[in-house]
Amino acid sequence: MEKVCVLGAGSTKYGRLDDSISDITIQASVDAIDSAGIEPKEIKAGYISNVFGVADKQVHLGPVVMTNLGISERPSLSIESACGSGSVAFREAFANVAGGFYDAVLVTGVEKVTHTGTEWTTTYFSYCSDFFYEGGAGASFPGLFASIARAYLNEFKATEEDFAEVAVKNHDNGLLNPKAHLRKKITVDDVMKSDVVASPLKLYDCCPFSDGASSVILCNESFAKEHNKDYIQVIGSGRGGSPAALQDREHMTTIPSTKIAVEAAYKMAGITPKDIDFAEVHDCFTVAEIIDTEDLGFFEKGQGVQAVREGQTKRNGQIPINPSGGLKSKGHPIGATGVGQIVEVYDQLTGKAGKRTIKDAKIGLTQNFGATGASCAVHIFQSV
Amino acid sequence: MSAKQEFVDNAKSGKILARKCSKCGDLHLATVYFCKKCGNKGFENAVLDGTGTIVTYTIITIPPAGFEKYTPYAWVVLKLGKSGLRVSGFMTGIKTPADLPIGTNVKITGFDDRGIIVERQ
Ligand SMILES: CC(C)(COP(=O)(O)OP(=O)(O)OC[C@H]1O[C@@H](n2cnc3c(N)ncnc32)[C@H](O)[C@@H]1OP(=O)(O)O)[C@@H](O)C(=O)NCCC(=O)NCCS
Ligand SMILES: [Zn+2]
Repeated sequence: MEKVCVLGAGSTKYGRLDDSISDITIQASVDAIDSAGIEPKEIKAGYISNVFGVADKQVHLGPVVMTNLGISERPSLSIESACGSGSVAFREAFANVAGGFYDAVLVTGVEKVTHTGTEWTTTYFSYCSDFFYEGGAGASFPGLFASIARAYLNEFKATEEDFAEVAVKNHDNGLLNPKAHLRKKITVDDVMKSDVVASPLKLYDCCPFSDGASSVILCNESFAKEHNKDYIQVIGSGRGGSPAALQDREHMTTIPSTKIAVEAAYKMAGITPKDIDFAEVHDCFTVAEIIDTEDLGFFEKGQGVQAVREGQTKRNGQIPINPSGGLKSKGHPIGATGVGQIVEVYDQLTGKAGKRTIKDAKIGLTQNFGATGASCAVHIFQSV
Repeated sequence: MSAKQEFVDNAKSGKILARKCSKCGDLHLATVYFCKKCGNKGFENAVLDGTGTIVTYTIITIPPAGFEKYTPYAWVVLKLGKSGLRVSGFMTGIKTPADLPIGTNVKITGFDDRGIIVERQ
């Protein structure tokens, strides 16, 4: 297996964007190409992750991107895996570079939905659930995670205020990220007073609907060395699955696919949770971040809330979580998010994260799942 | 008739059509084709009583399309009485969490364009 490196990374701002889905996909891709210091001709294949291209009248995005980069002859493919699409595209690219099929590839994730409005997006996102039992019976995505939150509150010593602390922390981090969607300081009180979306989750427990695109250039080690630019190495990669519907999970307060994915990634990297300096995790809702930090092995089951209360997941804590602001504050353009997490790790490990830099960080982890965690991918990166 | 249609017809009369693995005895909802425990493809039908208790739930105030006129409503996961098999559905008439503690006794009463319908026992 070839060693695989991230040679460049770029992102549009996340939020409500005016440009079309193809425009923002290309903008992020050009950013990543510039960051890597390569010519488009050096890219051998493209991996594009996206869920609702239909909303902006463009599916089959790959050829549109490649053509605009002047490399229409290069193969590309589009990947959909709900909110986890970005990390799945990255994984497919990783496997192809590791396997020696290509020496350098482009991975770009994108979503453009905010123009469709709250009802359209709520409805279409519900198609990512096991629709017969969930979306088709009125369960929105906030509703599914609210059911997980209810189970967590019932099972462990946790309160809605504890969940709110996650939102407060991630908004604090997002304030330092110029590309974040919701850049606004909030308090626990603000969260508690915000409107209920699906009880017990309130507006400020939820990530927003966002537009945005993120992109990275992946290559093998010799390609990276030839190009004389900052790069980081992918040292672990894992994927896993869970029952599609919540009803089929033995425990509602853990996400099986995360555990399977992270175990494989730790094994490949030959490290343990203690070796991770910071992580970008899938905090689509506040309760999800708490469950993620337990499933990833940072805290014991049920202890994730205590860790948040003690500030262990803040930027200066023992294991900083979501220094970018996470899905909560940075935003969640669902097809882009998994790639966006990797952009943050690249920025952190190459000294480009400005005021939100995690001191002395050498190893970063990303965890990104689809729907209620029916699919998940975890990656681990190390500075060189 | 497809397995799903058979399942829906049972739900309409308040029953859950389950499948019992002919090899290991594990129970599944009738919409499954292979046993998750042993991989076997053979099942015997088991028609279960649609009564059980709430495992978890939410009360939705921002609904997907088609559910506006019912809002607020609950979406619930319930555990069926004897078998412990779990299934999810739509529940109306619930306004606040105080109306629906975990463990509340409920029953399946039908199936329509809101999916499986659940009511208090
Ligand atoms: C919570 C939710 C229903 C709000 O709907 P929306 O269409 O974004 O709401 P609006 O556009 O009407 O926004 C109203 C205001 O709230 C703000 N806002 C929206 N979502 C917000 C959020 N999650 N947190 C904080 N503020 C938010 C908006 O900025 C806007 O403020 P403004 O009036 O000052 O501009 C929606 O964001 C949601 O469902 N989020 C979850 C997305 C999801 O399920 N993703 C998949 C995860 S697996
Ligand atoms: Zn069996």
